[in-house]
Amino acid sequence: MRHIPEDELHAYLDQGLSRTQCVEIESHLADCSSCRASRDRIAALRDRTTSLLARLAPPRQIPPAFESLRRRAAEEASQRRRRAHVAAWAASLVAAVGFGWTASSVIGTRALANPEVVQSPPPVPRAIAASAAEPGPDSAPARGAPAPTAPAVARPERVQRAPAQVVSRPARPSRSAKDSLRAAMLAVLDPAPAVELTQLDDSRSRNAGEFDGMWRTVSWDGARAEAGERLPHIDGLRVLKVQVQAGEPGKRSVMVVAQQLSSGQVIQTIEGPASDVSQLLARRAMSGVDSVVLRGDSLTRSAGGDHAMAMQLGDDRMLAITGALPSDSLRAMIRRLNAEMRSK
Amino acid sequence: MSDELEKLYQSTYTAVVRFLYRKVWDAERAEDLAQEVFVRALAHRPEKPRAWVFAVAANLARDEARAAVRRKRHLTLLKGDPIAQPAMTPAADDTVEHDEQMASVQEALNTLTPRDREILLLWDAGLSYPEIAAQTGLAVGAVGTTLARARRRLVEAHDRQQRQTGDHAAHS
Repeated sequence: MRHIPEDELHAYLDQGLSRTQCVEIESHLADCSSCRASRDRIAALRDRTTSLLARLAPPRQIPPAFESLRRRAAEEASQRRRRAHVAAWAASLVAAVGFGWTASSVIGTRALANPEVVQSPPPVPRAIAASAAEPGPDSAPARGAPAPTAPAVARPERVQRAPAQVVSRPARPSRSAKDSLRAAMLAVLDPAPAVELTQLDDSRSRNAGEFDGMWRTVSWDGARAEAGERLPHIDGLRVLKVQVQAGEPGKRSVMVVAQQLSSGQVIQTIEGPASDVSQLLARRAMSGVDSVVLRGDSLTRSAGGDHAMAMQLGDDRMLAITGALPSDSLRAMIRRLNAEMRSK
Repeated sequence: MSDELEKLYQSTYTAVVRFLYRKVWDAERAEDLAQEVFVRALAHRPEKPRAWVFAVAANLARDEARAAVRRKRHLTLLKGDPIAQPAMTPAADDTVEHDEQMASVQEALNTLTPRDREILLLWDAGLSYPEIAAQTGLAVGAVGTTLARARRRLVEAHDRQQRQTGDHAAHS
């Protein structure tokens, strides 16, 4: 008489067999004491396993209401739709800029013959003018990065240091004319509200000390490529601008991401070496500081209407968030941000 | 459909948290991931939601493990920040004993092959043989064989450890 294999007894006890198989096994068990003994042994082993595994349980928590998950799912769905919208918009923008670029090269050739164009370029916003100063592979549209901030490619530092390069260089008229045309084009196309990290720029120009790294505005994709997971941002909020302070070679840079809440308010998230970030916050606070409140290790500073909240990460890194919001909101946001960055 | 999901949520949320906890070993994270799983289920409306939920949970746990490896630096929360406080602080003696018991089972579980471990955990989470088979790509007939082996090895590893701890205690 064939005895029942061990794994079949496991399957039998686990109710993993068909009705017919069960009947066969049960009729065999009725006649075979050896298999009955095996069954009891396996049942005990099963119970033992279950009780051992039962120890590996987290402290029991009350599950959140299903309704809250439903809301979250709905929110995420609408965010996905919005992102798809932005992506489509960015693609059309890239196409438009490409067209402008082609057109400008045609007109730019003509401008060679017309020195007046060179002497008086059309007035354009400063950040935009800066982007015109850096055409070519550095600019986001040329890279084809479909980021909403794509046109706002600026290197303010370089422009401030050497303004002569941009305007008064009649030796290269075609470039300047081409650039100003392109800049005007970008100014028209740029739908992003003009959010400048004014305090950053002001404090730097006022006080060109050791914190005088080069600030670059980069496209979202560029920043993503550069910073990877540590690019500080809050998922689901529109990104207006990403700035990177290039540190010394080998040193990690400071990243500033400006994002817009649905209410229109702008927040900036900052991540970088703790000393640089706290210095940055301190500088920004100097420009209109009301109070400096240290709460635990996180600090709240008021700079005009702006509040900042900072949090120390591991290994001498710091995460900060600033914006004209109540400090409670900022606190909630920095926690969310921290949790998001931990989860990546 | 979403009523069905709600029922599933009520009946399996704890099992999903436990399943994830045994993979990420962080209670809070397991809760977060479990909620993420159900949020995704609400968006995807899977046909076989129970199996789907555990399949997604397994994937999230795997991604989590990969991310943990990549993440060299650990982001530690500020001390003094309320989030950094442990969620529960039971009496010290209980905690130590509980932790030791848990660690010994955890260690025993780690001696299993990843596949045996996965199947054992899926079974313990309440999945049926066909559901386990569908998720792991195993034939239904092989689930019993795998479970038989996994159970035997888990108990053997645990007993071995207990003996060693006993010997160690006797010698010291």
